[in-house]
Amino acid sequence: MAEKYDVQEVEVWDGNYAAAHALRQAQIDVVAAYPITPSTPIVENYGQFVANGYVDGEFVMVESEHAAMSGCVGAAAAGGRVATATSSQGFALMCEVLYQASGMRLPIVLNVVNRALASPLNVRGDHSDMYLGRDSGWIQLDAFNAQEAYDLNLCAFRIGEHLSVRLPVMVHQDGFVTSHTAQNVNPLKDEDAYAFVGDFVPHEEMLDFSRPVTYGAQTEEDWHFEHKAKQHKALMDSRAIIDEVFADFEKKTGRAYKRVESYMIEDAEVAIVALGTTVETCILAAKQLREEEGIKVGVVSPRCFRPFPFDKIREALENVNAICCLDRSSPGGAMGALFNEVSAALYSTQKRPLVTNYIYGLGGRDFSIAEAKRIMKEQKAHADAGYITTEIQQFSGLRGPKLGFFETKRR
Amino acid sequence: MVEIRWHSRAGQGAVTGAKGLGDVVSTTGKQVQAFALYGSAKRGAAMRAYNRIDDTQIINHEKFMLPDYVLVIDPALAFTDNITDNDKPSTKYIITTHLSKEELIAQIPTLQDKKDRVFVVDCMEISLSTIGRAIPNTPMLGAFVKISKMFELDYFLERMKKVLSKFPQKIIDSNMEAITRAYNEVN
Amino acid sequence: MQGVCATDKRGSKELGSEELVGWDEVMQGVVVNSFEGDATDIARQKAEERNYSEFSSYTATVASWRVIKPVYNRDICIDCQNCWVWCPDTSIVSRDKQMLGIDYDHCKGCQVCVEVCPTNPKSLLMFAEHEDLDKALAQWPQKEKKEK
Repeated sequence: MAEKYDVQEVEVWDGNYAAAHALRQAQIDVVAAYPITPSTPIVENYGQFVANGYVDGEFVMVESEHAAMSGCVGAAAAGGRVATATSSQGFALMCEVLYQASGMRLPIVLNVVNRALASPLNVRGDHSDMYLGRDSGWIQLDAFNAQEAYDLNLCAFRIGEHLSVRLPVMVHQDGFVTSHTAQNVNPLKDEDAYAFVGDFVPHEEMLDFSRPVTYGAQTEEDWHFEHKAKQHKALMDSRAIIDEVFADFEKKTGRAYKRVESYMIEDAEVAIVALGTTVETCILAAKQLREEEGIKVGVVSPRCFRPFPFDKIREALENVNAICCLDRSSPGGAMGALFNEVSAALYSTQKRPLVTNYIYGLGGRDFSIAEAKRIMKEQKAHADAGYITTEIQQFSGLRGPKLGFFETKRR
Repeated sequence: MVEIRWHSRAGQGAVTGAKGLGDVVSTTGKQVQAFALYGSAKRGAAMRAYNRIDDTQIINHEKFMLPDYVLVIDPALAFTDNITDNDKPSTKYIITTHLSKEELIAQIPTLQDKKDRVFVVDCMEISLSTIGRAIPNTPMLGAFVKISKMFELDYFLERMKKVLSKFPQKIIDSNMEAITRAYNEVN
Repeated sequence: MQGVCATDKRGSKELGSEELVGWDEVMQGVVVNSFEGDATDIARQKAEERNYSEFSSYTATVASWRVIKPVYNRDICIDCQNCWVWCPDTSIVSRDKQMLGIDYDHCKGCQVCVEVCPTNPKSLLMFAEHEDLDKALAQWPQKEKKEK
């Protein structure tokens, strides 16, 4: 029996430590891990919890991230509660196995502490790795601070393990800005956290010797499509369960989460759409701009990046005049992903608001309140003109001659 | 909102100091943030750590700040790092040095118009003679408590004991002595 | 249902002959169960005693893939089990370390068993798929003399 950890009502934890405690409280059967900056302290601290008797499960050190996720797949198929953590290059190496996990419908929880992808090598936070996981068939939840990294981990087990979902879940937090920033965190007591997550219910587990099963079957053109369609539908249908788990979490803790978070959007004429810590920085900027210049700015974020909340994004933004989508990943010859997906959602609304795109914060480049306000004011200028007055894709905080792409054809 | 910037070398405990301060402040019901700009930095490299303290949840995640307090815990960094970056007319400086305040200011041009806001304390000497190692972070906390008037010394010591509770009694005692000495010696 | 230890189920359907159902009917995660009912004691049962499910390759046949087949000669075999170890399709049937013959429902005619057979002459030889087993045995070669 695992020892009880005495958590205080208020702790000062960084995002990594908060996530490690959530994993400990969920009493995971197997963590297979290969540490990488900036996610290292999650599995490092978890390993310490195991060594000190706070966890009954197994901690498996493996030789690579590919092996880490493979170990997780094996353990999950065997019938255990499973989790791990990674970042950046490690996430990239895991990629092949991420698709295996979701295809086999294994509810693994993966903490992704977002970090830039090389080359050039960079250990700091951007969303390149989060975007790399976009089509992997995982549920992707995004935390904006340490408290949320803790909360969303507890929710992730409930969502992924739900028998009508049975999908793996990523919990994202920003490298360093969340993972290494200590803030006030209100954790649940061990017994309350575990009661919320609940006992693991095995499903089609390989270790049930009375009913042996085969995982990892091959299907060619006569079957593959049907299986992938079923998997996609499960991911789409998980929206209802995510809402349900968030509602239950709010009942337990008073902390409310939604698949799309929106702030000051009711009367907003312009809005920013962003992910991660930038959301909170933008909220602060929007409040200041409302006070200082009376510009009605709102902030919207897909808390649940996958399944993409097409419906909720549309609801949140359809009455805004001009929107800027902030993408913290080098788009590699396209518009930013958030821009593309938000634009697609808004294309089927009556008003079709003006949508622009900023690429920002790559490799951990700071994103300041002043810059957020400048971008917001630019959206106000678009809204007043009735068309996009700048290039559609621009770059924030970039040195050198101004860089931008594509002008509007809608004037 | 109170904003604090620490100038330190990786390994001197600025991050631990910032987090320790955060721990203590959180017990008073306030919201805190403690972070650092490091990553690939190795022991000895100049680095900065930061605190934010407020009555409501801190949602500002920019690294940029206009510090209310600048805490320099390595004596050489007062000379080599730009410790007056982004300061305000009210920014207070607490600098580790074996020099007197006048001697220090005489050698650092950027401090000369801030004489009444510069405070000195020899955290290196204090940590060496109390803790036995050059870990200037805890004495700096004592000096900060005195200058900021944020807490009574006794209250801070009690809370700090709790933060350090996982360490052996000897280490806790020497840290308490270091904090007290710096509190009394900063000027 | 060809060859030694065959049952009604073994090789009862052509591989790929299953009904193609829609996305709503396929199984979640392609997790397939190999046996019908409780399989707790499965490790102690011989293949012909097991209640294989329709998802097990046991019930499928790939005999039509084969153009040449191995023929087994009991008179020469020394029961070394080499062919049993090497066969990639578990199509060599052996019980109590005694070689019984070939599962022609799953054998694809790869010839590995013949290659690894150590006897002289070999106890397994390849013949055309249509060749009658008795006729094949009747034309078995003699022992080869080693040249000095």
